[in-house]
Amino acid sequence: MTTLAADLYLLVAAYGLALAVSYAGLPVLGQGAFVAVGAFGTAQLEGHGVPLLVAVAVAVVAAGGAGYVVGFAAARLAGSSLALATWGLAWLVYTALVLFPRLSGGSQGLTRPTPASLTSPSLGVDVVLQPWVHVVVGTVLVVALALVLVRADAGPWGLDWAALRTGPALADSIGVPVQRRRRAVLAAAAALGALGGAGTAVLQGVVAPVDYSPLLSLQLFVAVLVGGTAAWWGPALGIGLLAALPTTADAIASAAGIDPLRARAVLTAVLLVAVLALRAPAGRLVAPYLRRWQRRPPRDPLPDAAAGRDGTVPAGEAPLLALRAVVVEYGAVRALDGVDVELRAGEVHALVGPNGSGKSTALRVAAGVVAPVEGSVRVRGEPVVGTSAAPRVRAGVARTLQRTAMLGRLPVGRQVEVGARARERAPYAGLRHLVAAPSAVRERRERAAATAAALDLTGLTERFAAVPDVLDTAEQRLLQVARAVATGASAVLVDEPAAGMSARQRDRLAGILRRLADSGRGVLLVEHDMNLVGRIADRVTVLAEGRVLATGTPEAVRADPAVARAYLGVPADS
Amino acid sequence: MTGGQLLQAVLTGLSLGAVYGLVGIGFSLVWSLTRVLPFAHGDLVVGGALFAVLAVVGTTPVAVSPGAGRSVALVVLTLAFGVVLSVVSYGVAVRPFLDRAGHGEDVLGWVAGGVTAGLVIRTALGVALPAAAYAVPDPLHFDGFTSSGTVTLPGGGSVPVRVFPVIAVGLLAAAAVDRFLVRSRLGRAMRSVADDPDAAVLCGVPVERAVVAAFAVAGLLAGAAALLSAPAQPVGVDDGVVLGLAGAAGALLGRLGSPRGALAGGLALGVAQQVVQVAPSLGAAWSELVPLAVLVVVVAARPGGLRAPRQVAVE
Repeated sequence: MTTLAADLYLLVAAYGLALAVSYAGLPVLGQGAFVAVGAFGTAQLEGHGVPLLVAVAVAVVAAGGAGYVVGFAAARLAGSSLALATWGLAWLVYTALVLFPRLSGGSQGLTRPTPASLTSPSLGVDVVLQPWVHVVVGTVLVVALALVLVRADAGPWGLDWAALRTGPALADSIGVPVQRRRRAVLAAAAALGALGGAGTAVLQGVVAPVDYSPLLSLQLFVAVLVGGTAAWWGPALGIGLLAALPTTADAIASAAGIDPLRARAVLTAVLLVAVLALRAPAGRLVAPYLRRWQRRPPRDPLPDAAAGRDGTVPAGEAPLLALRAVVVEYGAVRALDGVDVELRAGEVHALVGPNGSGKSTALRVAAGVVAPVEGSVRVRGEPVVGTSAAPRVRAGVARTLQRTAMLGRLPVGRQVEVGARARERAPYAGLRHLVAAPSAVRERRERAAATAAALDLTGLTERFAAVPDVLDTAEQRLLQVARAVATGASAVLVDEPAAGMSARQRDRLAGILRRLADSGRGVLLVEHDMNLVGRIADRVTVLAEGRVLATGTPEAVRADPAVARAYLGVPADS
Repeated sequence: MTGGQLLQAVLTGLSLGAVYGLVGIGFSLVWSLTRVLPFAHGDLVVGGALFAVLAVVGTTPVAVSPGAGRSVALVVLTLAFGVVLSVVSYGVAVRPFLDRAGHGEDVLGWVAGGVTAGLVIRTALGVALPAAAYAVPDPLHFDGFTSSGTVTLPGGGSVPVRVFPVIAVGLLAAAAVDRFLVRSRLGRAMRSVADDPDAAVLCGVPVERAVVAAFAVAGLLAGAAALLSAPAQPVGVDDGVVLGLAGAAGALLGRLGSPRGALAGGLALGVAQQVVQVAPSLGAAWSELVPLAVLVVVVAARPGGLRAPRQVAVE
């Protein structure tokens, strides 16, 4: 009974870690540290006379706060640095526990009377926390966590997590608030870790440093890797394997005459190796069966649900996007030297110029990922600042990247849905989805409608369920356009979409970009293919060495002698 | 704290820091070519030392001074085990997770691979060597320079005589690697891969060979660090992890990818740790936390190292 309860509490911690590792794709190697905070925090607070439940709550909140602080740093870190930082944290906490007996009770650990009891004369409560009570509490927690994870993964949070996991660099460009989500995920993971630790401490009555060594962090990491990506049953399977580990290890240890703790380490290592070797194939084998009932029915798009929020604006307003006298410097290089570009609703505006003339830089300034040192950027007349793409997307400016960028192997429909998520300005979407609030249901319908509309516009509807691997180059580019359109942006920035496309694919692309503009959006296009530009652009801005050479209709620009000089290298008077 | 104590702390700190530096150079070198953080790197040091001891002395090592033959065998095997463990851990635990078939690299995969490789090394050692720590023989006979094994310093302090040759050998090894990277053909190939792997491929640089060479050099340095550090105090099977993290912390005090920065950072970290140890009201427990705390804080604040340029937004 006690062992079962302990395993259930470990599973609570594992679910916390799974949120970070297998849902948000963050390699966290220090969950054991947060479990330790919960366990030692509860024991210490109780030792100082704090009532049991308050002690648990304070320890959990403290760990959650610590996780949030880690998240503050981690939000900016690449995965590898986060792994190093959390692995360092696991060892730091363990070393501190070993070296400071006042904190940890030394190698004997801290003790408390067991079984614990909850007594409140005013409420008439007097419960003795027998092991079976812990089993009930643990089971309730685990079931609740699994349900919440499954439900949340199907909602807006699931979309955000998918973006974090599969394309953190890209997520920003389609409006996912990467840093905020990472902080929240790490805080939740840490709090759940501490909850598991607190439960174990109360259950066992002893908290000793040796049980919270970095090996625990590794074991939890193995446990959540077992199930692969975003699988609610993964942690349960992992902890099940880990639960079988001590008895197996002890049997081996007594048979082989080695230290039981070493035997456990051996088995953990074997398990880790096996998980690494098998995780992809195992996930492929099991997931289809377990996820079948989760797969949503074909959507029923409501064509008018997203009306008014699909990025179209009446003509004649302030320009969608205006760069004024923008100067950008990369070190000593002046990439843009006083550039003006204006994008109006309903037009395709092409930026052309020789390599290195500053086209892509201008696009990045417009998208908010490069900050100008001088000059201003206005979106619909409002000045905007900052170098984060996500707020710019919500302001109505979305772009595609020059290289082909995919959100991992997410199906096409889901990738576009991640983009559609950006148009929701409503707060607490994830929480409202959890409780199935009517507003969340409506938002979900709008999202489905926006996804369907974007897919329709780009001609990808047939490809709804396809994984990106099977798309050709042109379709992958169009998928990027669809994602940008789905964000509800009125200004769509497209960086060299036709590179590597065949003539027929270019025709299709030209038609789609033209349709985008005709629907009332503005398309800012960087493109080398002058044929394509001449066919679809309403206006062309020619850049050379970071300055605007000419702006006007394609015909006017083509006739401009300065352009001919810069572009073709012929003297103007020849 | 007297001046004598301070001098003592600085000297022992420099010898500790030379070891951190060698570990950190390897860590940094591997990162610069592969953008992989070698999580098993510290375990290579203890692995090199203890596997060599197992091979030469057996499962009950004693710290008696080994004879000439055994000394040579220990030196060669320690370095060799460092190299072999490093290259094998790359081939088995890291390489399979780098950019498989155009799906991009699998960070979760190589992180897990690295920690698994470390755990496997520790576990294999732990099965053969069950005690908490072992005193291992010193094949370089550094303690033999004076009869007592210690040197009295002006100001009243004293240090083990081995700190001087440890500092000297550590600096020489670091300088040799630096020369190797600058002068040799293979070293230049390695630096070109570090600068830009794609361009290196186009220029005909054998990238895979350069990467293996980086892991081999890192392993060699880990072996050298083992030779310098292991005989100084009893070695526990699990000590490698913290040593590896301390090396990483030293490398991050400079700039990831810079061997000189890693050495300077390691030396600074070693001295800081020893000064904390002799500082009144702090002491040994706090000093052990120094490298880990520095690591966590520096990674969080400047993941590329303190002296790394702030990142420019690029795609």
